[in-house]
Amino acid sequence: MNPESRVLSPERFARDSGLGAHDQGATMKCEWVRENIVLQVYGELADDARHELEQHVSRCADCAAELKAEQDFHALLSQDRAADPTPNLLAASRMRLQEGLETAVQGSVWSRLAFDPANWLRQIRFAPALASAILILGFAGGVGATYKFYGPHTETATSGGTTGTAQVPTEASINGISSITQDPNTNQISIKYNAVSTQEYQGPLNDQKVQQLLLYAARNNYNSGVRVDSVGLLAQRSSDQQVREALMYALANDTNPGVRLKSLDALGNYVKDDTNVRDAVLRALVNDGNSGVRIEALRLIEPVKADGSVRGVLMALSAKDSSQYIKSQARTMLAQLPEID
Amino acid sequence: MPASVWAMPLAVGGRVPSKAKGERAERVSGSHSENQDPARGRMAAQERRIDDTMLIREAQRGNRAAFEELVRNYDQAVLRLALHLTGTEHDAQDVYQDAFLKAYKNIGNFRFECSFYTWIYRIVTNLCLDHLRKRNVRKEDAPVAKDASGGEYDLLDQVADGRAGANPERDLMRRQLGARISGALEKLTPRERMVFELKHYHGLKLRTVGEILHTTEETAKNTLFRATQKLRGALSDMR
Repeated sequence: MNPESRVLSPERFARDSGLGAHDQGATMKCEWVRENIVLQVYGELADDARHELEQHVSRCADCAAELKAEQDFHALLSQDRAADPTPNLLAASRMRLQEGLETAVQGSVWSRLAFDPANWLRQIRFAPALASAILILGFAGGVGATYKFYGPHTETATSGGTTGTAQVPTEASINGISSITQDPNTNQISIKYNAVSTQEYQGPLNDQKVQQLLLYAARNNYNSGVRVDSVGLLAQRSSDQQVREALMYALANDTNPGVRLKSLDALGNYVKDDTNVRDAVLRALVNDGNSGVRIEALRLIEPVKADGSVRGVLMALSAKDSSQYIKSQARTMLAQLPEID
Repeated sequence: MPASVWAMPLAVGGRVPSKAKGERAERVSGSHSENQDPARGRMAAQERRIDDTMLIREAQRGNRAAFEELVRNYDQAVLRLALHLTGTEHDAQDVYQDAFLKAYKNIGNFRFECSFYTWIYRIVTNLCLDHLRKRNVRKEDAPVAKDASGGEYDLLDQVADGRAGANPERDLMRRQLGARISGALEKLTPRERMVFELKHYHGLKLRTVGEILHTTEETAKNTLFRATQKLRGALSDMR
């Protein structure tokens, strides 16, 4: 028999097998059923085929016996489970892997450049902060001193210098951001960051380089105070998709609840319109370790509580949540919704 | 490019925030098993995908901590598969090590065209298939014996595994059953064995099995059919 016909419907099976209309009864169907019983046992049959198979088995004693035999055999095999690795084996494997990773080298940027320009471009996309650092370094003539640039004038003055510095590795020259301050009078933002030496850049919030450095700080800084500052400033630009992504990243991953709370507040306005933001807020509501963040997330999703995914989360929370407050709030919100079904 | 350059962002900016990660994972998986709410299940799956995407992007930028986080999400399943397919802890560890080192070296080429899960399984199954093929070549040297029905079984399978429970008779029967099944599995071709392993022991959908093995769902179905037919033949006296 043609093996490809195994998963065909009985009618097509009959046609392909050359069976006439008279034969399209028991013989063909029995053969088709036997070919598909294993898929039935493993739950891999499509609904219509399953229905057809069940109908046939209910009328055909031979096929019913075959199905029973296959089920018994499956049960026999299922007595032998693939053993889970012991904790010792898992721990030993992880340790060995860590040692291996110490010496392993990822595919180099240059080889990716040669074989995979798309990937290289993606790497570059993550390095806007580096690009600004490169410009600064280029004009400083390599002297490790502090430079100050004021506003967009410098930007035009330095825009020609990109090509000569492309060999510097991505992001490697930025060694953390030490402070972010905003002048209340001029709204100028001053960012101090360390490269070969500490550098400083000043500009308004709508300056692209300022935004790039803020995005970098929100994701990559050890100092939570700096992250709070950068997220706080980025919140003013949350209409920008890239900024929203950084805020969602901070909300999901930042270790500091203050930073997560600030990100959450900044994202609040977009819960209605941006489903990614809504999902991020729901994730915070379900998973965040800080109850303050969770309560704030619950408050933010209030306007979209009729949404299917939100309703699902609310039902889960109202049924079982460690926080009594969240449980009762979720119940209240659900009670205000019109019944479905 | 020298390793030191890759290592720099790791050292300076390669923070993988791990806010109560364990706790979060536990809560997600706990909700999975206890609560069958499909909306929640979909959310958990979506969350895993988003988490993976972020970790992969970080790992692609050279962040080793992010890669290790990814490893921890999948390594238990990988080790279980390798252990069952290779039959020894030593070989399973080798497969585990090779698979994740290969993934680390090539993660820059990961295109998000499939899930990371499929990608890492693809690497592992390829390594296991190589292992099975090599083992088939040197099978003559294996410490096998013949049972009453003439079927071969691995002598090593008869060694008590230290997990014996309170009922020694049942344990003995289970071990014998395990040995017979292992013997029958050994008779499958590496590809049949792999499809059966992923479907029966790991519960993957045949569509996913097809993706992992670079083949179609239809071919995976046919291979599963052949594998079960062979197994039923080999174990016919046990029913």
